Amino acid sequence: MIRYLGRRLAIAAGLLLILSFLVYGMLDLAMDPLDDLRISPLPNKQQLIETRIRLLQLDQPWPVRYLSWLGNFVHGDLGTAWRSGLSVSRVLGPAIATSIQLIFAATCIALLLGVTIGVISALRQYTAFDYTITFVSFLLYSLPVFWVAVLLKQFVAIGINDYLDNPVMNWPAVIAISFVAALFWAAAIATGFKRQLVVFAAAFAVTLGTLAYMLLSGWIVDPQLGIIGVGATALLAAVAVTMIFAGLSNRLALYAALTTAVVGIALYVPLQWLFFLVPMDVWSLLGLLVVAIVMAMAIGWLWGGPDRGVSMRGAVLVAVIISVVVYVDRVLQGWNLYVHASIINGRPIATIGPATPNLGGDFWISQLDRWTHLLLPTIALVLISFASYTRYQRGSTLEVLSQDYIRTARAKGLPERVVVVRHALRNALLPLASIVPVDFISLIGGAVITETIFGWSGAGKFFVVSLGNSEIDPVMAYVMLTGFLAIFANIIADLLYGVLDPRIRVNA
Amino acid sequence: MSDHESANPNADAELHTMAEGLPPLDPDDHGRGEGVGQLKEVEGLSQGQLVWRRFIRHRGALVGVLILLSVTILSISAMGVFGIPGWWQYQNYASTHDVLNGGAPTLTLPQWLGGPGFAIGDHPFGQDEIGRDNFALVMKGTQTSLMVMMVMGLVTLVVGTTVGAIAGYYRGKVDTFLMRTTDLVITLPVLVLGAVMGKLVTTLPDKLDASDAMKAEIRALVPLMLALLLGLILWPGLARLVRSEFLTLREREFVDSARVAGATDWRIITKHVLPNAVGVIIVNTTLVMSQAVVLEAALSFLGFGVIDPNVSLGKLISDYQGAFATRPWLFWWPGLFIILIALSANFIGDGLRDAFDPRTKRIPSRREMDRALAKTAAAQGAEQ
Amino acid sequence: MSAQHETSLEGAVRLSRRIGGEVKRGDTVLEVRDLGVKFWVSGEWFDAADHVSYDLKAGEVLAIVGESGSGKTQSSMSLIGLLPPNGRATGSAKLKGVELIGLSGTRLREVRGNEIAVIFQEPMTALNPVYTVGFQIVETLRTHFVMAPSQAKARALELMRLVEIPEPESSFDKFPHQLSGGQRQRIMIAQSLACDPKLLIADEPTTALDVTVQAEILKLMRELRERVDAAIILITHDMGVVADMADRIVVMKDGRVVEHGTSDEIFNRPQHPYTKALLAAVPHLGTEADVRTPPALKVSMVAHGDQPVPLAPGDPGATAALLMENVSIDYPKQGRRPVFRAAHNINLRVDPGRVVGLVGESGSGKTTIGRAAVALLPIAEGSLHVAGRDISNATNKDLFPFRRDVGIVFQDPGSSLNPRLPVGESIGEPLYLHENLRGSELSKRVEALLDSVELPRSMRNRYPHELSGGQRQRIGIARSLALEPKLLIADEPTSALDVSVQARVLKLFADLQDRYGFACLFISHDLAVVEMLSSQIAVMKDGHLVEVGPTTEIVNNPQHPYTQRLLAAVPVPDPAEQKKRRELRDAILESQHIVS
Repeated sequence: MIRYLGRRLAIAAGLLLILSFLVYGMLDLAMDPLDDLRISPLPNKQQLIETRIRLLQLDQPWPVRYLSWLGNFVHGDLGTAWRSGLSVSRVLGPAIATSIQLIFAATCIALLLGVTIGVISALRQYTAFDYTITFVSFLLYSLPVFWVAVLLKQFVAIGINDYLDNPVMNWPAVIAISFVAALFWAAAIATGFKRQLVVFAAAFAVTLGTLAYMLLSGWIVDPQLGIIGVGATALLAAVAVTMIFAGLSNRLALYAALTTAVVGIALYVPLQWLFFLVPMDVWSLLGLLVVAIVMAMAIGWLWGGPDRGVSMRGAVLVAVIISVVVYVDRVLQGWNLYVHASIINGRPIATIGPATPNLGGDFWISQLDRWTHLLLPTIALVLISFASYTRYQRGSTLEVLSQDYIRTARAKGLPERVVVVRHALRNALLPLASIVPVDFISLIGGAVITETIFGWSGAGKFFVVSLGNSEIDPVMAYVMLTGFLAIFANIIADLLYGVLDPRIRVNA
Repeated sequence: MSDHESANPNADAELHTMAEGLPPLDPDDHGRGEGVGQLKEVEGLSQGQLVWRRFIRHRGALVGVLILLSVTILSISAMGVFGIPGWWQYQNYASTHDVLNGGAPTLTLPQWLGGPGFAIGDHPFGQDEIGRDNFALVMKGTQTSLMVMMVMGLVTLVVGTTVGAIAGYYRGKVDTFLMRTTDLVITLPVLVLGAVMGKLVTTLPDKLDASDAMKAEIRALVPLMLALLLGLILWPGLARLVRSEFLTLREREFVDSARVAGATDWRIITKHVLPNAVGVIIVNTTLVMSQAVVLEAALSFLGFGVIDPNVSLGKLISDYQGAFATRPWLFWWPGLFIILIALSANFIGDGLRDAFDPRTKRIPSRREMDRALAKTAAAQGAEQ
Repeated sequence: MSAQHETSLEGAVRLSRRIGGEVKRGDTVLEVRDLGVKFWVSGEWFDAADHVSYDLKAGEVLAIVGESGSGKTQSSMSLIGLLPPNGRATGSAKLKGVELIGLSGTRLREVRGNEIAVIFQEPMTALNPVYTVGFQIVETLRTHFVMAPSQAKARALELMRLVEIPEPESSFDKFPHQLSGGQRQRIMIAQSLACDPKLLIADEPTTALDVTVQAEILKLMRELRERVDAAIILITHDMGVVADMADRIVVMKDGRVVEHGTSDEIFNRPQHPYTKALLAAVPHLGTEADVRTPPALKVSMVAHGDQPVPLAPGDPGATAALLMENVSIDYPKQGRRPVFRAAHNINLRVDPGRVVGLVGESGSGKTTIGRAAVALLPIAEGSLHVAGRDISNATNKDLFPFRRDVGIVFQDPGSSLNPRLPVGESIGEPLYLHENLRGSELSKRVEALLDSVELPRSMRNRYPHELSGGQRQRIGIARSLALEPKLLIADEPTSALDVSVQARVLKLFADLQDRYGFACLFISHDLAVVEMLSSQIAVMKDGHLVEVGPTTEIVNNPQHPYTQRLLAAVPVPDPAEQKKRRELRDAILESQHIVS
C-alpha cells in the first residue's frame, strides 16, 4: 500500500516536472512581455525595452530561466508578478481558498443531483421523464457557461432582487411552476397511469400551496424556518431516510430515526441560546456536527435489535440533515438585518465578488453574505457538471441493471428498493470514482470563466489576468497548482476505487 | 494418405449415425423460439446498413442532422466562402450603417405565431451601437465556429486514433510512453491549456518582425491556427477510448486468424481492427466537436481566442456582454447559434452511439406492448 | 427437510407467507398448463415457447432438455416473473394450487427465494461482486425471515457446511472472485436452499464448470436431493447431466414440448424423431473400437513426479507435422502482472495425416500450446518444428512462408470472423495474401471452399452476424483450409455449438480430414469428441502434459490419476451406464480427496 502510494507520488512528481518544463517553454513562446512598450509612443522606448529585458532576463535562453525558476520553486519561492511587483505566494494563497470553496460546493451539489436524477432516469428508461432528462442534459452540455452566467445575473439576481423590492403576486407564474413541478414528481416517482395521476395531483396541490403561502404571507421577504419549519423537516427526513435505506417495515430503524428527529427538535431552543451567548466560528460548528453524529449513533445503538448498524446509519443521516437545517435557520435569522443593511440596500442576491466588502456584522451575517455570493457562481458551475454526471450515472446504472446479479437479487425475493439501492446503485457508483477527478479538472477550468464573470478574485481569474499580462511566474504557479490538484484527485479516486471495489485491491 | 484412409472407418460410421435423422441443413432456417426475432431483424443487411437503420430511428439525431445542415447552409450561403459572395446584402460584416430604430431587429414573426407578419427587413438580427449588421456578424461568426469545430474534430480524430491505435495494438513500452504523454496533456484543464494556446496564437502576429500587411494576413489565419492547436489538446480522451477498444479487439480471434493467414500489422490494424473500432471513434469525435464549439467560444470570451478582424460566436458574446440590458439581441443571437450547433452535435453523437451499440434495443412502454398483445390475441380469436 | 439444518430455522419467524403448508415427498408441487412465453421484437410478438405442460412432484427431478433457442430457460423463468421487460407469460402454472403467472408485487416477492429458488448458470456473474458471499446468503434469509444477524450467520454457515464449502468460517467473509468456480456454484446452491423452497430451478448449473468440477457439483446435488424435499427443475442441454440426475424428462424444440417421459423412456425408447436425433448426436465416451492405433505408439506414456512425458516415437520415415521438444511457453509481463508460465516442458508429436487430441480443463494450457504451434505465441524454451521447419526463434518475416503450412480453427465462431467483412472476403484472405489471387480467380477458389464445407455459394456475401453458429464455424474451417495446410490446429471448434450442430460439424471435419489428409491437433475439453476423431490423446493439467497415449489406451486404461479422474467425471448419456460410472467416480473422488 505504502509502496503503491510512493510509486504513484514519484510518477506524479516526474509528470509535474516534465509538465512544468513544457509549459514554461510554451509560455515563453506565447507571452510577449514587451507588448505595451512596442506600441509605446514614448521617446525613450528603446531604453525602456532594454530595462525590461534586463529585469526579466529575456536575453537569456528560456531553459536557463526555467532552471532558475525551478530552483526557486523547489525552495518555495513562487516568484513575483512583475507588473504589479506583488509576491505570487501572497496573492495566490487567498485566491486558492476562494476557488476551492466555489469548486467544492459545486462538485458536491452536482454530484448529489446528477447521481439521483441519473439513477431515476435509468429506472424510467424510455419514458417521457427519461427523454426530458436526456434533452435537458444535452442542452446543459451545449450551453456556454459564460452565456448562462450573464443570463443568471440578468434574470435570477436582478429578477429576485427586483421582486423582493416590490413583491407582487404573479399567479400565472406560480401555477406554471407548480404544474411543471407536479409533472416532474409524477414522472419520477410513480409508474402506471393511475398512480402518476394521483402523484401529479398531490404534488401540484402541495407545490401550489407552499408557493402561495410563501409569497402571500410575505415569508419570501423575510424567510424564516423557526422551530416549526425545523421540526417538520426533521420528521420528514426521518421518515424519508428510513424509507429509502432501511424500509419502513424495519420498525427499530424508524424509531431510531424518529427519536433522533425529536431530540433534534428538543435541542432547538437550547441551541439558539448557545448561538446567542457564544460567538461561533466554522470549527465550533463542525464540532457541534460531530456531537450530533455521536448522539445519533448512540440513539441508533440504544434502540438495539439485530440491526444496530442500519438504525445507526439512518439516525446519523437524519442528524446531519437536522444540523444543516438548524444552521440554515440560524443563518436566515439574520436575513432582515442583512437585507436592510445600508450596503446591501434591499438587493441581497450578489453578482460580483465572493463577499461584500466592509459589511460588518457577526459570524452569522458574514455566513449569510457568503451564501448570497456563492449562489450564482455555484448554479453556473453545477449546470456544467450536473449534465455529465446525470448522463454517466444513467449509463452505468443501465449497464448494472442488465447484469446477472441483479436478476439473482430479484430471484431471491428482495424488494425492488433493495435491488436498486443495495445491488444496483452500489455497483453503478463504482465507475463514477474514475469520472469525478476528470470532472474536477474540468470544473477547475470552468471556474476560470465563472470567476472572471462574477468578479471573484479566485485562482482562475488570477490565471487569466496574469496570462493576459504576460507574467510568467504567477501562471507557472497556477499551472503547478492545478496540475498537483488534478494528480492528487486521480490518486484519491484510485484509492477510493480500491476501497469500494473488492476486485481491485491495491497490492503493494 | 492411403494409410490414413484406412485408419478411420469406424469413426466415420459413428459420425454418420450422429448426423442422421437431423433435419437437412437450410441456410435460412432460423426456426422459431427465442432468438428468432433478433435474427429476423438483421437479415440481409451489412453492418453499415444496420447502423444506418438504427440511426434514423433516433429522432433526436435526425433533427440534429437537419439543424446542423440548415445552419451550415444558411451561414455559408449568406456570407459566402472562399471569396465567393453570398446572398446577404451586407457582405462586409465590419461595415457600419445608420442605426435604425435603436438597432432593433427587423425580423418579425408570422401572424400564426402571434407576430405582425413574417418579414426579414434590413437588419433581421438588429444592429450594434455603431450600426454594424448583426446578421452578417452572426453568420460570419457561425462560419468561423463551424470551421473551428470541423478542424478541431479532424485533428482530434487523426491524432487520437493514431495514438490510441498504436498504443493499444503494440502495448508494452510504446503504450506506456504514449499513455504517459496522454496523462501529461490531460493533467491541465482543457481551458487552461487552451488559453495558453490562444495566447500563443494571438500574440504571434505582434511578436513577429513582419510588415503590417503580413501581420494582417497572419491575423486572418488566427482561427485556423487556433483550431489546429486546440485540436492538439482535445485528443487524449479519444486516444484512451481507442486504445482500450484496440486492447479488447486485438484479443479477438479474428485478429489471430488474420495473423495466422499471414497478414501484416499494418493490414491487421487498418483492415481488421480499425473498422471494428469505427463506432467508438465516430461517436467520440462527434462529442468532441460539440465540446470544441463551446471551448472556442469560452476562449474567445476570455480574450485568448479569435481576435479582430475575425469574428466568432464566442467573440460576439464577449464583445456585447455589456450590452445585454440595452441591446439584448446582440447577446441572444450568437448564443442561440452556439447552442444550436453544440446541441445538434450532441444529439447526433447520441444517435450514433445507439446506432453502433448492438445492445441498444428500444423497448416500448408497457402499455404499448399490452395493446399489441391484445390485438394479436383478438386476431387469433377471430381466426378460430 | 432433513433434521440437520432444520434446527437453526427454529425460532425464526417467517416474514413471507408460505403456500399450502408443508409438503411431503410425492405430493404434486407444480402444475404447468399451456404455459407460453412471448417476446416483443421490433414491433411484433414472437412465441419463444407455447403449450408447455407438465406436473412436478416433491423430491423429483424434472430435466428440461433442448438446444439453444428452444425456450427451455424462458419458460422456467416465467414461473417467477423473471422474464426480460419485453417478455410476457401466458397460460397457467400453479404452485400447490396458487397461480404463479401474473403474480406481482409483494405476492411475487414472497414466492421468489422463499418458495421457488433459482441456481443460475454462471456463478461468477450471478453473485454480486462487491458483497461477501456470506452476506449474500444472509440477505436471502433475512428477506424472508425475521432473524438476528448472528442467527442468520449461523444458519448461513450451516448451509455452507451442507454444500461442503471448505472452512466455512473464513469463506463467509470472502468475495465471489476469491472463490473457485465450483465453490461459487456451491454458494449459489446454499443460497437457493436457504429458505427451504418447494421448488428449485437449476438453469444449466454445471455448464460453466470444468468436467471434474461438474462431477463434484452433480455429486453434491444428488446428495442434496436425498436430503431436501424440494422438487427440482433441471434445465440443461447436456444429455450426460440429464442421465445423471433426472427422474423425468421434457424435451423441447423451438418452444414446443416434443416429448415427455421418464428418464428410462426417453433414453431407451425415444418416440419423437427429434429426440432420437438428439440422442444420436451426443458423442458417447468409450464407444470407439480399437482400429486406429498408430503403429509407433502402443502404450501410454505417463508423467511421474517432476519427470515430464517423454517424446512419443513417430511414424518411421515421416517428418512430423508438429514436433515440440521440451517446449515451455510464457505469457509476457503485462503492466505489473508478472510473467506467467502457461506450459512447462512439453514433448508432443503430431505425425502427418493423424489427428492428436489434446485434452484438459480450463487453464490447463492446452490453448496456449495450440497458439504456440501456429506462432501466435513465442516459445520461451525448447524447440518447435512445424512440417520440418524450425520456428523456435523465428521472426515475423521468417514466419510468412510458414503461415502457408498451418491453419487454425477457433472456438468461438462469433469472434473468429471479422464482423465488418463479408464472409467470402474472410475466407479469401489467406489466398489473397499468399497466392496473390484477385478478382474472379479468387472468387472461384472461395466458392470451391464453400462447396467443400457444404455451404451455398451465395453465402459468401453475407456478414457473420447473419449466420448461425454452425454456419460460422463452417466458414472458419473453410478459411483455415484455404491454403491446404499441412497442420491444422482445431481449438475447441465445436464446444460453443449445440449438439446437433456439433454432430454435423464434426462429421464434416472428419470428411475433410479424409479428403485433405492434413495433420491435426484437436484441442478440446470434451473427451467424447476427442475420442471420436483422434488416434492419440494427450492430457494436460496445470501447464504440464500428464499422459500421452493411443486413444483406446487412454479411454479404457488411463494411467495417471488425473486422467482417471477426468474420465470418470465425464457423464454419459445413458442412465444405467451413468449409474455405474457415477459409483466409480465417487470412489475416485473419495480416494483422491478432491474438493473443488
